[in-house]
Amino acid sequence: MNFLHIARHLFIPHHSNNHRPKALHVDALLFYVLLLSVFNLSLRFIRTRSDVLGYATDIHAEQLLAGTNAQRASAGLSTLSISAPLSQAAAAKAQDMFAKGYWAHNSPDGKTPWDFIIGAGYRYSVAGENLAKNFSTSQGVVDAWMASPTHRANLLKGSYRDVGFAVVNGTLNGEETTLVVQIFGATPVPKAVVAQVRAAPLEIEKTAAVSEAPPKTLVFTPLAPVTTPAPLTLAFTDVTKIPKIDVPTFTRQVASVFLGILIMILAMDAAVIAKRGTVRVAGHNIAHILFFATILLFSAMMRRGSLL
Amino acid sequence: MRAHYLHFLILLGILAGGAWAFFYVRTDRYLQLLVGVATAAAYVLWGIIHHVIQRDLHIKIVVEYILIGAIAAVLLFTLAL
Repeated sequence: MNFLHIARHLFIPHHSNNHRPKALHVDALLFYVLLLSVFNLSLRFIRTRSDVLGYATDIHAEQLLAGTNAQRASAGLSTLSISAPLSQAAAAKAQDMFAKGYWAHNSPDGKTPWDFIIGAGYRYSVAGENLAKNFSTSQGVVDAWMASPTHRANLLKGSYRDVGFAVVNGTLNGEETTLVVQIFGATPVPKAVVAQVRAAPLEIEKTAAVSEAPPKTLVFTPLAPVTTPAPLTLAFTDVTKIPKIDVPTFTRQVASVFLGILIMILAMDAAVIAKRGTVRVAGHNIAHILFFATILLFSAMMRRGSLL
Repeated sequence: MRAHYLHFLILLGILAGGAWAFFYVRTDRYLQLLVGVATAAAYVLWGIIHHVIQRDLHIKIVVEYILIGAIAAVLLFTLAL
């Protein structure tokens, strides 16, 4: 059997393959499921035991600040200033999430974002927190926050004046994770300024927002890094990783090639069968093509990043 | 033939709904996986119901749709790595 016969047997409906390409037979489909499962398990195994496979990450606090301020500026809002205590609070929050293995605004032992802010020595009148994990670029993080109504509302809140960032790489619940913590805040407005603000009706509305997150009368429990904020803050502002093979790009390419080939075989089979008018027991090729095209669309929309 | 077109319109609705839901939960990978697997399950169900109504259901067809759905599910789990 030469190459052409093998190719016809695999890809063209013919009496040798019971008028259905061998590549579309049930046993071939089962083989694909097993092959893809082995591929999946191999990737899981290799990525934890070698540096070849990994996740390309290029996130910087400076870019996050620039992106945040660009969005605020285009919304006609004041830009935010970077705050060392808020960055310290963000770094402490990220470390706490890695240490206790959680992905939430409140820790399993009941610690809230406000505890970290107060612990870092920042007296706030209003504060907020945005979280992101496993994004590959700074712009990707800002874009995702802007696409989410609740994160967007936080990012574009007029009453915020300061912001702090932490970008930390580590292992969260057994998975390599890059966490981004963004904490917003504003310190209480001095009395003299409040008096001026009250003269302008528009500004009175803004000061009313202060009540949304009043400072809590919590016991002041400073975190260990409070005494040395600068080194901690600097250590968690950037994560840059360039693995030899980026897992999301690699898996997307494999999925695209695999589905592309399957769609082509299905289309060829459908065309030949329609032309010959063959009657056979099989599923609908057009339906399979539509379904696989949707899965291709899913693969294009799939992002590793998550928000909270 | 008219029923055939209606079935394909329903399939298009299922796939478009799945795509919209997948996009809607784009900031949560686990929800995306859930939507993807639900879409695959809906496709398998559609295939079986369609062939039952067409009165040409065969065990081979059922297995074929299940395996097509399984291929999609394993691919989605791989893409979510």
